[in-house]
Amino acid sequence: MRKWLTAVLACTVAFSLAACAGGNGNSADPTSTSTSNGGAATDKPKNVTLRMAWWGGQPRHDYTLEVIKMYEAQNPHVKIEPEYANFDDYWKKLAPQAAANELPDILQMDISYLAQYGSKKQLADLTPFLNAGIDTANISENAISGGRIGDKLFGFNIGVNAVNFQYDPELLKKLGVDKPDDNWNWDDYYALAGKAKEAGLYFDNGFRPEVFFGYYLRTKGQHLYNAEGTALGYEDDQLFVDFFKPLAQLVKDGDTPAPDVKAQIKGVEDDMLVKGQQIGIFQWTNQFVGIQQVANRPLEMAHMPGPDREKGLYLKPSMYFSISQNSKVKEEAAKFIDFWVNNVEANKLIKGDRGVPVNSTVIDAIKSDLAPAQVQVFDYVSWAQENSSPMDPPDPVGTAEIIQLFMTLTEQMDFQQLTPEDAAKQFREEANAILGKNK
Amino acid sequence: MRTAWKNQLTGYAFISPFIIGFLAFTLIPIIASLYLSMTDYDLFTTPGWIGLDNYVEMFTKDKKYWQSLKVTFLYVFIGVPLRLAFALMVAMLLNTASKAIGLYRTIYYLPSIIGGSVAVSIMWRNIYGDQGIINLLLNSLGLDSVRWFADPLAALWMLITLSVWQFGSSMLIFLAGLKNIPRPLYEAASVDGANAFHRFFKITIPMLTPIILFNAIMQTIGAFMTFVPAYIISKGTGGPLDGTLLYSLYLFRQGFQFFDMGYASAMAWVMLIIVAVLTSVLFLSSKFWVHYESKEG
Repeated sequence: MRKWLTAVLACTVAFSLAACAGGNGNSADPTSTSTSNGGAATDKPKNVTLRMAWWGGQPRHDYTLEVIKMYEAQNPHVKIEPEYANFDDYWKKLAPQAAANELPDILQMDISYLAQYGSKKQLADLTPFLNAGIDTANISENAISGGRIGDKLFGFNIGVNAVNFQYDPELLKKLGVDKPDDNWNWDDYYALAGKAKEAGLYFDNGFRPEVFFGYYLRTKGQHLYNAEGTALGYEDDQLFVDFFKPLAQLVKDGDTPAPDVKAQIKGVEDDMLVKGQQIGIFQWTNQFVGIQQVANRPLEMAHMPGPDREKGLYLKPSMYFSISQNSKVKEEAAKFIDFWVNNVEANKLIKGDRGVPVNSTVIDAIKSDLAPAQVQVFDYVSWAQENSSPMDPPDPVGTAEIIQLFMTLTEQMDFQQLTPEDAAKQFREEANAILGKNK
Repeated sequence: MRTAWKNQLTGYAFISPFIIGFLAFTLIPIIASLYLSMTDYDLFTTPGWIGLDNYVEMFTKDKKYWQSLKVTFLYVFIGVPLRLAFALMVAMLLNTASKAIGLYRTIYYLPSIIGGSVAVSIMWRNIYGDQGIINLLLNSLGLDSVRWFADPLAALWMLITLSVWQFGSSMLIFLAGLKNIPRPLYEAASVDGANAFHRFFKITIPMLTPIILFNAIMQTIGAFMTFVPAYIISKGTGGPLDGTLLYSLYLFRQGFQFFDMGYASAMAWVMLIIVAVLTSVLFLSSKFWVHYESKEG
């Protein structure tokens, strides 16, 4: 009995731990994935299958699948296998695929991960495909360079974005205000948001710290990361306290939702703005169309709180399409990206959901087809073009850990478990330890 | 001599599927992970040797690591005894002769089959949600809602109740054990005037101790490995305030979110040692409390 038991136990332990540990010596060898490029083009293109991955909500999945169908109809030799998920799950799926050298041929990339995947040699340099696969005649160099790290182009910018405040004007009226003042500042924001609880509403659902603390620092002439990405870019912890303390107070007062309330939201369909329980959201302009569609009632956009908004605001590539280094069909993948950014009919389906198109002629051609909400986004981004400053370099390696650290600390501050002063110190210490690995 | 050799070869051929599988998917990965635990392997680039740095960081610098250990120990040491007690209770109920026993057995085993699945974890989230059935029940009794996702201990409690609910496999084993206890023991005790309480503590429990040991060990090991419920219920964050940051969830995060596979491998090895130590403690202690009827061992 006992011996048998021991044997069973040993096996169980061994098996389950092996499943946990997972990693074997399967390191990526970027040089071994050479493709058959350079060959002369034949009359009849060979059948290819492209795997394509993106993140998003249901409306995005729907139209992306339609664009894929359109492309397949025009290019009968191409079959595209879609893989999609929401933002958080997307990155959890991508990492093991990268480890197994099985990244999709075309993958949507975010600015926070571009350096991580690019510098680890997971992404192909797209420079050779510019004007040799991807037509850039109507795309400004400025728009393209947002995907460069060093001299390599790891992602092709597929849309331009800015941050602002997106709200339901009918709900805002319950606070006795028609719209936030064009030049509102943070104090105006705290005062206005502070009335939300009385009206039985939440004002917003908080600020993604890596985006908005970054914005706040820029308005003060500081940056979240230093230029080399090896340490934090600001010196004075008071800035951290100034930004986070009033936000934690709003949570405490019940004007913005506590972390556990937010933890129970399953997706955009379930969002509190959509359900009429929350007045607005601070987020990227490309997200406006999606939330408006799901909410199905008029929403408005207002500027970010100032002062010095122009210094803080920047246009950024909302997302990129990258081609994986292990792809065997990079030319075909590049042709699809070309179709995505330059084809007018395709962009009539995309409607700026992934950011305002980078191709200027596409903007003009599709504008008459846009719904009011989409026109609002296009107009806002063109306004921001004139009223913003150049963006910071793409986020350094380790950003995923920094975001996690931010989440832990803001959660503790929002639950009143940690003072902003202590959080500021802890953030500096741990963030610098993470970024220090890039030296 | 030749036939003996041939016989052996045939034997090895028959077990070769296992041997190959064991080497390729178990032994080699295990050895590889021991090596990786002493490197800075990041999934993408060649691992670089850093000796025991991962282990040093784990024990001296990483506060989250200690938090995850604490949460996991709470989860195991509260969850496993509760689950065993519950399993034994249900097994004893089912052991009373009934014609529908087969049906009951199946029904009560069901949660264990589906219990580890994603769907059940999502259901659990909703049961404990702010507008979930538990809070509705509390409200209908005139009590205030509990914010299960706001308090680290309450959130851990959600996980523990889910684990208790998956009592099926221990229950089946207990049931088999109960059926093996000779009836004359109970009859003799009844004749001597022992009540149900005595019979339970003086006969049932001692006779079941080998089964209890087996279940305790298997469930403890299983509980240390719990991943899916913690991942789904906290949406992968281990929140609130790291209250549900089970060991394997933190390991997953290090490996697949922060790409620190070396560190994750080191964590897996420490886990192996912890489980091995606990298992041997249980085994060693068994001589003091486990009663074997036949002494052959």
